[in-house]
Amino acid sequence: MLVGGLLILVAGLMAFFPSMNSSGETDWISIPLVGFPIVVSCILLAFASQEKRSRKEIIASPIRLFTLCASLIPLAISTALFFDWLILVDWDLMYNEYALEEEYLWIESIGASWHVGMDGLSFPMVWLTTFLVPVTIVMTWNEKHGATYFPLLLMMGGALIGVFVALDLFLFYVFWELTLIPMFFLILKWGGKDRRYAAQKFFIYTFCASVIMLLGLITLYFLQPESSGSGYGTVTGRTFDMTALFTNARSKNAGDSVFLGKDMQNILFAMLMLGFLVKLPAVPFHTWLPDAHVQAPTGGSMLLAGVMLKMGAYGMLRIPIAIFPDALVFYQDIIMAIGLISLVWGAVVCLGQTNLKRMVAYSSVSHMGVILLGIASMQPIGYAAALFMMFAHGIISPMLFAVCGAFKHHYHSMEIGDMRGMARWSPFLAVYMMFAWMASLGLPLLAGFVAELMVLLAYWPAYGWWILLPGFVLAITAAYYLWSMQRTIFEGGDEGQPPESLKGETPPDITLPENIGMIILAAFTVLFGIFPFIALGMMDDWTVALFEGVFIRGGI
Amino acid sequence: MSTEVFSTEFWKAVAPEAILVIGLVLIFVVPNLGNSKFRIPLTKVQIPWFLGGRRFKFTGSPAIPGMLAAATLFTALGMMVIETIDGKMDTTTVTSGETVLLQIDAFSRFFEIIFLAAILLAVMASLDRIPANTFEGKKTLDELYDNRRQADLYILMLTTAVGMCMVALAQDLFVLFVGLELASLATYVLVAFHKESKAGAEAGVKYFIVGSVASGIGLYGLSLLYLEYGSLQLDVLASDWDGSILATIGLGLVLVGFGFKVSAAPFHFAAPDAYAGANSPVAGILATASKAMGMIGLVRVLLVVALPDADSDGSAIWLYTLATLSVVTMTWGNLAALGSTNPKRMLAYSSVAHAGYMMAALTAVGAWKWGEIEAPVEYAHAIVAAVLFHLFVLVAFKLGAFLVLGLLEMEGGASRLSALSGLARRDPLIGTAMFVFMLSLAGVPPLAGFMSKFLVVSGIVSASIGDLSGSVSFSDLHWIWWLALAMFINSAISVFYYLRIGVVMFLDVPEEGRRKPLPYGASIRMAIWICLVATIIIGLSGDTIIDMCYRAAESLNLG
Repeated sequence: MLVGGLLILVAGLMAFFPSMNSSGETDWISIPLVGFPIVVSCILLAFASQEKRSRKEIIASPIRLFTLCASLIPLAISTALFFDWLILVDWDLMYNEYALEEEYLWIESIGASWHVGMDGLSFPMVWLTTFLVPVTIVMTWNEKHGATYFPLLLMMGGALIGVFVALDLFLFYVFWELTLIPMFFLILKWGGKDRRYAAQKFFIYTFCASVIMLLGLITLYFLQPESSGSGYGTVTGRTFDMTALFTNARSKNAGDSVFLGKDMQNILFAMLMLGFLVKLPAVPFHTWLPDAHVQAPTGGSMLLAGVMLKMGAYGMLRIPIAIFPDALVFYQDIIMAIGLISLVWGAVVCLGQTNLKRMVAYSSVSHMGVILLGIASMQPIGYAAALFMMFAHGIISPMLFAVCGAFKHHYHSMEIGDMRGMARWSPFLAVYMMFAWMASLGLPLLAGFVAELMVLLAYWPAYGWWILLPGFVLAITAAYYLWSMQRTIFEGGDEGQPPESLKGETPPDITLPENIGMIILAAFTVLFGIFPFIALGMMDDWTVALFEGVFIRGGI
Repeated sequence: MSTEVFSTEFWKAVAPEAILVIGLVLIFVVPNLGNSKFRIPLTKVQIPWFLGGRRFKFTGSPAIPGMLAAATLFTALGMMVIETIDGKMDTTTVTSGETVLLQIDAFSRFFEIIFLAAILLAVMASLDRIPANTFEGKKTLDELYDNRRQADLYILMLTTAVGMCMVALAQDLFVLFVGLELASLATYVLVAFHKESKAGAEAGVKYFIVGSVASGIGLYGLSLLYLEYGSLQLDVLASDWDGSILATIGLGLVLVGFGFKVSAAPFHFAAPDAYAGANSPVAGILATASKAMGMIGLVRVLLVVALPDADSDGSAIWLYTLATLSVVTMTWGNLAALGSTNPKRMLAYSSVAHAGYMMAALTAVGAWKWGEIEAPVEYAHAIVAAVLFHLFVLVAFKLGAFLVLGLLEMEGGASRLSALSGLARRDPLIGTAMFVFMLSLAGVPPLAGFMSKFLVVSGIVSASIGDLSGSVSFSDLHWIWWLALAMFINSAISVFYYLRIGVVMFLDVPEEGRRKPLPYGASIRMAIWICLVATIIIGLSGDTIIDMCYRAAESLNLG
């Protein structure tokens, strides 16, 4: 007990002393944003799992509180970085320039280094992650999940931030796979009836795709020219550094030449995209998502849908699109088709769902298709739309899943057909459900609308009259949302029809922590709906830098 | 430096191995120290001759053999590590007249470190798995039995160690064979050690018969090679190699012998039974040290000796054979493991799969060497270094997994998957350690298993790319790139059964009779801790080991 307390104290101190790098400036990313959550959560997990069963109940609450405080620190730091309160960050970046960049040599023999940094693509995601972890903890405050649940959420956050800030391919892959482990445990230990199947399916499916992506990365690595110097492997002569790769690719892509040749580009592009498409998830690789979501606990679903899916989109935008632009043009129509199919399939399947959470899961698939549409449009506004969709969906879908979780927690049922007219019994829940559902279907003045509008604006110059198809499907989106909402909270006459799983008890309303969590998410949805330029500024700059740096090159 | 066998420099050079032999002799002698006296005939003078008679209490304690074995192995291992850790190592060649018998260089020392580390960890586990019951008072039959066979166990383990060291040092195929047989015979008996149980006896007999047949075939192959070239020395064979029919057949037969040791398909059939029937520390030795021993043979014979010239026609057949064997091995191992419900059998099949991965790496070196790829020799060094790294870290997590199963065996058997049920709740540390070992075997970062798989695949991909640069077409890559893809696909398949163990540990309820906490066993827990720490630390910063492997590969003289 004493040792545990001391360790926690040490961990707390760690947060306030971010390491100094060699030139004396403080490294705000490595320890405070990435290292601190992971190390603290590991310590808490070790601590929580060692206690005897009788004491586990007692330590659950302090650990919950401590985890919440620990998760607020990265949020504070990332917000402060945005507003320049800690240090003055120069966000005016060209392509392949990063803010707060740090590099430490790690594995010298192969040229892997701990290279982290943020730019307009990754910073919104980092902020989103630091924002969602405390909100998730607050939202699931009252669920009796024991002492190990909350530290796993924190570890998840740390690993996700690691993916977004990594500027070294090896480090990127390490964090990419590291995110699987906490999510696996979250689904396995606190999931629904089929959690065994869902957790394994989730892990194995995404692992298979990641491994193909890794083979692509290794092949790409060895196709670089050999060089020596710091950062280059002593045994292999090459480096995993993304910035070096991007510079090399850019110079080789200039003019008429193609980096690595058209043939190789297409194959490597396909291999890398496979890993990211499965994570996104895009149809036809989406089948792990409904199972994972339905079986996952609320907190797991919130982080999974809110941030983890965006990892796929982030990876896509960061690596294959930037270094293989010719392959992107080659596959443009295929990507558009995949995005469209995801959009349509996800929406149509939603119409037939009877389980609320499964419906929301498929709607996630549908919205991720919109991102692919933005990427395939090859228009600056399309890319900015993709980025903003990542961000907006990251705020809205946790709210959707929180509502589903509240249904599960208080009504013990997520079947749409089971209940009617719940607005009478749970007005707060009904309001939040209405809000979240409206936000997700793209009501103007809420964040989702901005993204969808921008995608449609980008679609017209790229594909012309095909725009009618996504436009029509967005109407189907409204249909399934409105229909499910209408049935569950509005119909049923005066008394409503509580689900049978309540066994005649009075249907309860949501608790205070859930209220707080949902109102925070709702407030930010409105904020970014009315003032999207808060985030869009950075995203626009990045898109412009990408186009100027990669896509526009002497004649193309 | 060249020295004559049994000269003073020789003893200085093989000091660690000599310590092993001394330890072996001590285990024979020390428990037998007693008060017997030797009476000079026709007189009444009695000289104390301490061997025999009423055994002394202190040295007759049943715990002595185990302590001696652990101390011996630790000392020898320490000496070797100190010798190689700073990277400046003199190569010592031991000759007998004209014949080069042994060579002590970075490569051989590296393998000896693997062997001794594996056997030391197994000895530490055996201190608890087959405990020496030294308490006063009535002992059960099992406890008495365990006390009686302490010396046997540790003598066998040290014999295995000596034999394996001989294999590592050998520069003459006959010396290699002698060492191989010495170690193999000891392992056969170790597998059959629990002769009171049906599984143990059956496993031992199976392993013995199949192993002897394989060794016999290997010896026959060696005799054919001797017939052709008049010598079995590695450098003579390497320089005189001409790919003639007799030599090729002989080589093929030798590979059968080594293939059995490495548990490559189609010579792996005895492995699952042997691993499942042996007790877990011994199975761990089989999975790690034995495999490394076979790999030495494969590396020396395939890479140093049997390399046809670039323009001879035999090369393509070798390459295709090796590649096919490796893909069959890894796929067979993974698919069979999917269907296993016995954890030890599952780990045995996963060993088979790992052998397949290493053979794929050897194919890549073969492709480079057989002139199909234009690349400098550093590429081959990198690939061999990756194989060596893989063998090294296998000791950490494969042996660690077997040791956890050993802990479960101490309380009543580990032959069903349900033995692992609820392990994470019963003992979170051991459960987490097992899960880490499983993730490492699957190749999940940032653990050592990921690093080793990554290095092996990197080696294969780098060989398939060779010297190409600039604009490259996919068809320009050598076909061994597809071996890398096969390796990764198999890795993905294997995740299922590794994850299954994790699911059973964390989700299921412990079975009847296993509700109490796990047995205490300080020594075996320390061994598991060491493996866990090694897995994580090597995964996070494996540079030291990678450098060691690279130096070992360089001293192999592939050029």
